[in-house]
Amino acid sequence: MAEDVKPTRKNLMAIEDRIELSERGHDTLEQKRDGLIMEFMDILDQAQDVRAELEADYEEAQRKINMARAMEGDVAVRGAASALQEHPEITTQSKNIMGVVVPQIESSRVKKTLDQRGYGLLGTSARIDEAAEAYEELLESIILAAEVETAMKKMLEEIETTKRRVNALEFKLLPELYENQEYIEQKLEEQEREEIFRLKKIKGKKEEEEKEAREAEMKEADKAAAKEPGAVADD
Amino acid sequence: MSYTGSSNPEYVNARVRSRRSQLYDEEEYRKLTRMGPAEIARYMEESEYEEEINALGSRYSGVDLVEYALNRNLAKQFHDVLRWSDGRLYQFVVRYLQKFDAWNIKTVIRGIYADVDKQSVDDDLIRAGEFDDRRLDQLVEAGTIEEVVNRLDGTMFGDPLAEAYEDYEETGVLVPLENAVDRAFYENLLEGLTFDEASADYRDFLRAEIDFRNARNALRLARSGADIDPAEYYIEGGKLFSASELSTLASNPDELVNRLRESSYGDDLSGALDDLEEANSLIGFERALEAALLEYSRNLGNVHPLSVAPVVSYILAKEREVENIRAIARGREAGLSEDEIEDELVIL
Repeated sequence: MAEDVKPTRKNLMAIEDRIELSERGHDTLEQKRDGLIMEFMDILDQAQDVRAELEADYEEAQRKINMARAMEGDVAVRGAASALQEHPEITTQSKNIMGVVVPQIESSRVKKTLDQRGYGLLGTSARIDEAAEAYEELLESIILAAEVETAMKKMLEEIETTKRRVNALEFKLLPELYENQEYIEQKLEEQEREEIFRLKKIKGKKEEEEKEAREAEMKEADKAAAKEPGAVADD
Repeated sequence: MSYTGSSNPEYVNARVRSRRSQLYDEEEYRKLTRMGPAEIARYMEESEYEEEINALGSRYSGVDLVEYALNRNLAKQFHDVLRWSDGRLYQFVVRYLQKFDAWNIKTVIRGIYADVDKQSVDDDLIRAGEFDDRRLDQLVEAGTIEEVVNRLDGTMFGDPLAEAYEDYEETGVLVPLENAVDRAFYENLLEGLTFDEASADYRDFLRAEIDFRNARNALRLARSGADIDPAEYYIEGGKLFSASELSTLASNPDELVNRLRESSYGDDLSGALDDLEEANSLIGFERALEAALLEYSRNLGNVHPLSVAPVVSYILAKEREVENIRAIARGREAGLSEDEIEDELVIL
């Protein structure tokens, strides 16, 4: 509130400094927000493609496992699946996009060759191979989608935060600072006017006092002059 | 039911003929493709699967009930065939049915490996091979894979498994054990058997099965891009490929397809080979191989009605019936269309 600020020149200077800093910050944050939105749009396009691919891979994997369960039997498919205990490994690193730290997910041992899947080759069929392959592809798509969608989410959070900061500067902090600046300037002007008026008053009073003093002096002088002609007569 | 005694194909064939007549025909499959899983179970309840559906109905429902009932009925039927067979016929039949012993061993090993409870493992067994209930129960009760290997000592799977167990300990994956079990089954199919004129065609049938298995595996390896020598997975006993030939052909799938086309199987498989080249998918090809084997065994049964052929033909036809019904039930559950399901069926 403007009334809470002491209308001093020092405060005015401090507010002017803050206004300058806030305006600079506002411009920078606006540029950051626009940059983030552009990056976000790129990631959004990528995420849409990845999501579509994920859905297609899921459909395909479901279709293949359904066919494998239909033709080989649920018991055979479960058996082949239980022959594998080695899990894929996922490592996460991070990269920086315009100050936003987003994950970079690296996976290994997702896609396997026939001899790495655990089940024997001689007693199984191509249906099980194809179902396993389809699920490996699905898993890769999920990992990619996790990376892209997490990046998208983080970018979105950062855009929101930046937008809130820009708005806070634009609609709250800067207007308050301008108001305070104006208030202090008005107060200072008023004080200046009062000071001039006061000085004028003092000056007038002083002049009046001087005038009175001069008049008193003159009266004294007149009185003295009036006494002096008598003395001359005595001589 | 024994290795000894004289072969009794006449008796067994007569019984098998009667069982064969109970198999579902094309019209029944067509009806099933229009039903939901529960209706299929109900339909089965009114046929030869009644006992199994009733026995399992309180534990399972839907497609699982259908699948477990099919497996149990299959085991019962094949157990009957073994019970009726004597002498040389028993030898022929049991060697083929040992594929279920291989299946059961793999199921037990996988169960231990994945820490599945014993009841679930027991449920997944198909008791249609040579192993009796006692031996299978012993295997299920084994606490470690090593114990399973030890308990199989003295069977045809014992030595190969013991050898593969070292690889398993080194690598930690089941591949060596599973391959050892399947290889033992395939290589034992023809081992030490003598064939007369009537059974020579049956020998050709078994060879065809081995050839097809070798071709399928070579194509699967070629497509997977794995750096594996196909010779490691080569099964002895076929007539079409040697191990070294298969290694060379696996690196050139087109050549392999040409080789199959020019072989004695070429006429039966030409359509499937065309599809394989066009669609680049092994699934249709595998289906065609199964259909070719089924057709081959049926023809054998007609040519030599007093040999092992009609029995093997029935075994294959029964297996195919189980696969077809399961495909229909699972296909319906997964929402496949009637046409898609019918495409997957192999009906003769």
